[in-house]
Amino acid sequence: MSAIGAFLTSSIGRKVVMAVTGLLLFLFLVTHLTANLLILIDPAAFNAYSHALVSNPLIYIAEFGLLALFVAHFVTAFLVFNSGRVARPESYKDDRWAGGTSHKSISSSTMILSGGFFLLFVPLHVWGFKFGAYYDAGGGVRDLHRLVVEEFRNPTLVAFYVVGMTILGFHLWHGLGSAFESLGVTHRRGLRRTGQVIAVVMAGGFTLIPVVIYFMGDAL
Amino acid sequence: METMTLNLRIWRQPRAAADGHLVEYTAREVSPDMSFLELLDVLNDQLIKGGADPIAFDSDCREGICGSCGMVISGVAHGPQSATTACQLFMRQFKDGDTITVEPWRATAFPIIKDLAVDRSAFDRIQAAGGYVSVDAGGAVDANEMLIPKDDADRAMDAAACIGCGACVAACKNASAELFVGARITQFSLLPQGQPERDRRVLAMVEQMEKEGFGPCSNEGECEAVCPKEISVAHIQTLHREFSRASMRRIFAAR
Amino acid sequence: MTLDGKVPDGPLDSKWEHHKFDMNLVAPANRRKHKIIVVGTGLAGASAASTLGELGYNVAAFTILDSPRRAHSIAAQGGINAAKNYKNDGDSVYRLFYDTIKGGDYRAREANVYRLAEVSVDIIDQCTAQGVPFAREYGGNLSNRSFGGAQVSRTFYARGQTGQQLLLGAYGSLMRQVDRGQVQLYTRQEMLDLVLVDGVARGIITRNLVTGALERHAADTVLLCTGGYGNIYFLSTNAGNSNVTAAWRCARRGAYMANPCYVQIHPTCIPQSDEFQSKLTLMSESLRNDGRVWVPLTKGDKRAPQQIPESERDYFLERKYPSFGNLVPRDVASRNAKAVCDEGRGVGATGLAVYLDFSDAIARLGANVIAERYGNLFQMYERITGDDVYVEKAMRIYPAVHYVMGGLWVDYNLMSNVPGLHVLGEANFSDHGANRLGASALMQGLADGYFIAPYTVAHFLATSKIAPVDTAHPAFDEAETSVRQRIDRLLAIRGTRTVLEFHRDLGKIMWDKVGMSRNEKGLQQALGEVRALRKEFWRDVKVAGAADDFNKNLEHALRVADYLEFGELLILDALHRTESCGGHFREESQTDEGEARRDDGAYAYVAAWEYKGDDVEPVLHREPLTFDFVEVKQRSYK
Ligand SMILES: Cc1cc2nc3c(=O)[nH]c(=O)nc-3n(C[C@H](O)[C@H](O)[C@H](O)COP(=O)(O)OP(=O)(O)OC[C@H]3O[C@@H](n4cnc5c(N)ncnc54)[C@H](O)[C@@H]3O)c2cc1C
Ligand code: HEM
Ligand code: HEM
Ligand code: SF4
Ligand code: F3S
Ligand code: FES
Repeated sequence: MSAIGAFLTSSIGRKVVMAVTGLLLFLFLVTHLTANLLILIDPAAFNAYSHALVSNPLIYIAEFGLLALFVAHFVTAFLVFNSGRVARPESYKDDRWAGGTSHKSISSSTMILSGGFFLLFVPLHVWGFKFGAYYDAGGGVRDLHRLVVEEFRNPTLVAFYVVGMTILGFHLWHGLGSAFESLGVTHRRGLRRTGQVIAVVMAGGFTLIPVVIYFMGDAL
Repeated sequence: METMTLNLRIWRQPRAAADGHLVEYTAREVSPDMSFLELLDVLNDQLIKGGADPIAFDSDCREGICGSCGMVISGVAHGPQSATTACQLFMRQFKDGDTITVEPWRATAFPIIKDLAVDRSAFDRIQAAGGYVSVDAGGAVDANEMLIPKDDADRAMDAAACIGCGACVAACKNASAELFVGARITQFSLLPQGQPERDRRVLAMVEQMEKEGFGPCSNEGECEAVCPKEISVAHIQTLHREFSRASMRRIFAAR
Repeated sequence: MTLDGKVPDGPLDSKWEHHKFDMNLVAPANRRKHKIIVVGTGLAGASAASTLGELGYNVAAFTILDSPRRAHSIAAQGGINAAKNYKNDGDSVYRLFYDTIKGGDYRAREANVYRLAEVSVDIIDQCTAQGVPFAREYGGNLSNRSFGGAQVSRTFYARGQTGQQLLLGAYGSLMRQVDRGQVQLYTRQEMLDLVLVDGVARGIITRNLVTGALERHAADTVLLCTGGYGNIYFLSTNAGNSNVTAAWRCARRGAYMANPCYVQIHPTCIPQSDEFQSKLTLMSESLRNDGRVWVPLTKGDKRAPQQIPESERDYFLERKYPSFGNLVPRDVASRNAKAVCDEGRGVGATGLAVYLDFSDAIARLGANVIAERYGNLFQMYERITGDDVYVEKAMRIYPAVHYVMGGLWVDYNLMSNVPGLHVLGEANFSDHGANRLGASALMQGLADGYFIAPYTVAHFLATSKIAPVDTAHPAFDEAETSVRQRIDRLLAIRGTRTVLEFHRDLGKIMWDKVGMSRNEKGLQQALGEVRALRKEFWRDVKVAGAADDFNKNLEHALRVADYLEFGELLILDALHRTESCGGHFREESQTDEGEARRDDGAYAYVAAWEYKGDDVEPVLHREPLTFDFVEVKQRSYK
């Protein structure tokens, strides 16, 4: 096997891929969140921004890259998860957490589920917004703002998002610190803490949007 | 001195192929000064007298240094007391009436031999793949010709303290051996003696580690928490660095 | 018959040099044609197996344990001696040699000891090259400490885990040879008999401890590196699997057992707490550098240590040995502790302990300095006893069996009287005389394995006609059958008492009557009791399980059976040696102050015993000890 192949298929190489893709997906979410917060602040700006995005031919490459990251991440995720199961098929009859210096948490033990959720969420989400109803804001600019606001009048969708964003928080709670450790950044308690704070901020920020729109949508 | 009565649920499995199950025992007049293995000794003597098969488990030094003994006690590798091997776990850690479940290390790479005894030879094969400095007897220079900063020597010693018990694997949801391998890699990466074979070593040991069927590391840190020698997960991060660096060198050397 | 140690002549300091030249070599191309069996992978075995593998021989290495990384050697804490004189404090090869001879109470072979001191320096170089993380100074140089009362700092150490680090170094080298296919590794295999073909050691019978199957292994020579028999006392600081079986089986096949009564009892161990106890834990000797040993002046004083005022304490070592005080050699410290306990002044629940007190040291240096030096030991002590030394300012200690100087007799080439049977490490009797100095056993094990056996074994192979044998040879049939019969007999008894009970009983007899101080009457009683116990064992022992299974109880039974036979010999040796020397103290032979008195006129020899059959008196062979290079003195630590 080629040296590259050997690295990418090694258990450590896979974790490096997961970490890199995971962090890049996270970066996308950071920009995505900041952009989306415009919805609450400045509808016109938001529309202008997303217009700028979609009208830029590079978007296709960007979108493809994003998709690739996403696929790479969850494919390796399944491989990693599976190799773990194969290595330890049988669990203990009396199974407890060691506590002490351990980082084991609900978040760390449900990564596959929290992550898996996005396999469901992202397609629905993209379908709902990207390929959702087309409103014209005039001048060939799509009125995404209106779309979002209308969508989030629906309580079940809002609930779904609130839950979804919490799950995102869980995934990042362990994920962010873990990613740096996978990349060999020598463990510091601080690193984990920061990751966890950011995870909460991300989840909170995203949750804000549907909730605010739902309760004071008319004001927007 | 007052003694205790304890309920034990111990994993019994006649041989690798057979399937096992937990068997209940009651241990009476347990002295708090007994070690956990001495408790098993006493129980075994009762079993033998009663014509039953005693519980098989490994032990040798009984002072926490050889790494032979290993069992999951009350859901935690080597039991509830941190930085302690099963042989150094004393019954004063428990209270009268406690129920204690005892199970073997569980990992595909550590097949069960009998009851609580498992086969850890996978660790030896990993070491054989590169866990050493290639120097023949007689070929060495004077020990003081090689100056090593005290801090490096001390950190190398921290890593070298691993006793090869396998608790890290047992405690890891992925049965990952990265703490064990990382400790050895760190020791040699810190020392001048380890430099010439630095890349070769880490690539070979990781490859063997996977061949043996140990899982990946999800950075949960249970291993550090149960390690009797408190080997830090920092060694796993070092392992990832060393392995990635070596792989990159190999990739670009291939060009 | 007198035995010949085959010591080369010439001046002491060039014996080994010349001998190395005089010995024959095996050409590189021929080495792989020679198969060598190495039994045991402790320091001696691992170092020998790896070195012979490096040289190109075809080696098979055996261990009882599941990995060569585990062996009794791993427990060694204190350190390893070497005459490097890095500290410039007057050490030298000659001084290390002299201290070892004197410490051994003039009962060791001069030439061997000098060679040991000579190669000690190479050991440190070799281990450092392997990546053993010895303690270092800030300048990057290796650090040394003075150990066990030595007047120079010649002890190298890796925290409190020197044995572990040295073993892992040797283990690494061994696994490298396993990887190269030079060494065949057999773990969880116990040697149960030696196979002689035409009087030459040509193979072994082992039991596969997982399947219970008996296996035959043939070779051109056998290296026995199976450690010491301290566990005959049941409670000792030795690892649970340490045993006499391998050595005793060789003795039954004709190898002489030398000085079996030389047993070292270590003064600073954690006292026994209850009858369930399975082992005693050593507290490093270094504690005696700062701790003061005492007991109450009055019998049965049950007050807590710090409740007892200075005026009512008896610092008996300082009182009796003003110049060495608490740092007297192990045997002296141990005997005196026993003496005060026998007077009923012992402390602790059992009354079998003395205090090692740190209040002065803490007052002088401060608690944190003491914590820095001994923190890990205090922690270990608390884990085991539940008592906090920082609070009590004293720990309870008592002597425990620690090391055996006795072992199979070997000549200068480390070969026993049975051609082809080499014996290395603690298993042989060679270098420590009647008492071993601290930090010298690791040195000896590695010297034997890395730097001596590789030459002498080659010489044996090069100079002896070795006809090929295969395991179908009748000698293998005979040996295997005898092993199988013993196993079947044991399992068939189905008596009422367990192996553990018999082992405890044996230990108690040995400890009470053949322990720190011995006398004619006690030894005679012990002899009778051990013989009776052996009869009872073979009549009434209950061994669980089956022969063809992973059966720890059967393993234990086979070992206890051999201890019961060997114990008799140990006692006979103790009886015959009516002098006191080193670890062997005969009450009949003491000075007016109650110190050991040697009898060089009558006993300046190695006692090598030849087995003649069960219930038959063994035959004594003497190897006279001559001292051409040191002046023989009575040890005095007053
Ligand atoms: C607690 C403690 C502390 C010590 N500290 C020091 C110290 O600080 N400095 C020092 O110099 N010395 C010290 N010693 C002494 C020293 O550790 C030992 O004497 C030395 O390690 C013995 O090494 P060895 O290789 O000869 O035997 P061991 O290390 O005992 O190895 C024996 C090997 O033989 C194998 N074996 C045994 N029987 C069989 C069989 N029948 N079949 C197959 N394999 C078998 C075992 O599995 C093992 O691999 C200490 C000893 C103890 C108990
Ligand atoms: C929304 C996009 C996602 C982001 C931002 C994200 C982020 C991350 C990060 C940063 C990590 C840490 C990597 C490491 O431990 O080295 C991680 C781990 C993980 N991710 Fe994701 N992830 C996302 C989507 C997914 C998806 C769709 C899955 C599919 C199942 C998934 C499954 C996992 C799993 C199982 C892990 C843990 C791997 C391990 O056990 O070490 N993630 N994720
Ligand atoms: C409440 C929170 C969110 C809101 C309001 C929101 C809003 C939107 C909108 C309006 C679009 C369409 C953009 C366009 O077509 O130009 C979009 C696209 C997208 N969103 Fe979200 N989003 C949210 C959360 C998320 C989360 C948590 C994820 C990932 C886990 C995500 C992943 C995506 C992706 C992958 C696209 C498609 C991007 C593209 O193809 O350009 N979004 N989002
Ligand atoms: S790292 Fe710790 S737990 Fe793992 S084998 Fe070494 S000592 Fe045991
Ligand atoms: S517990 Fe397992 S997941 Fe990694 S950090 Fe330790 S190996
Ligand atoms: S028996 Fe040696 S570590 Fe427990």
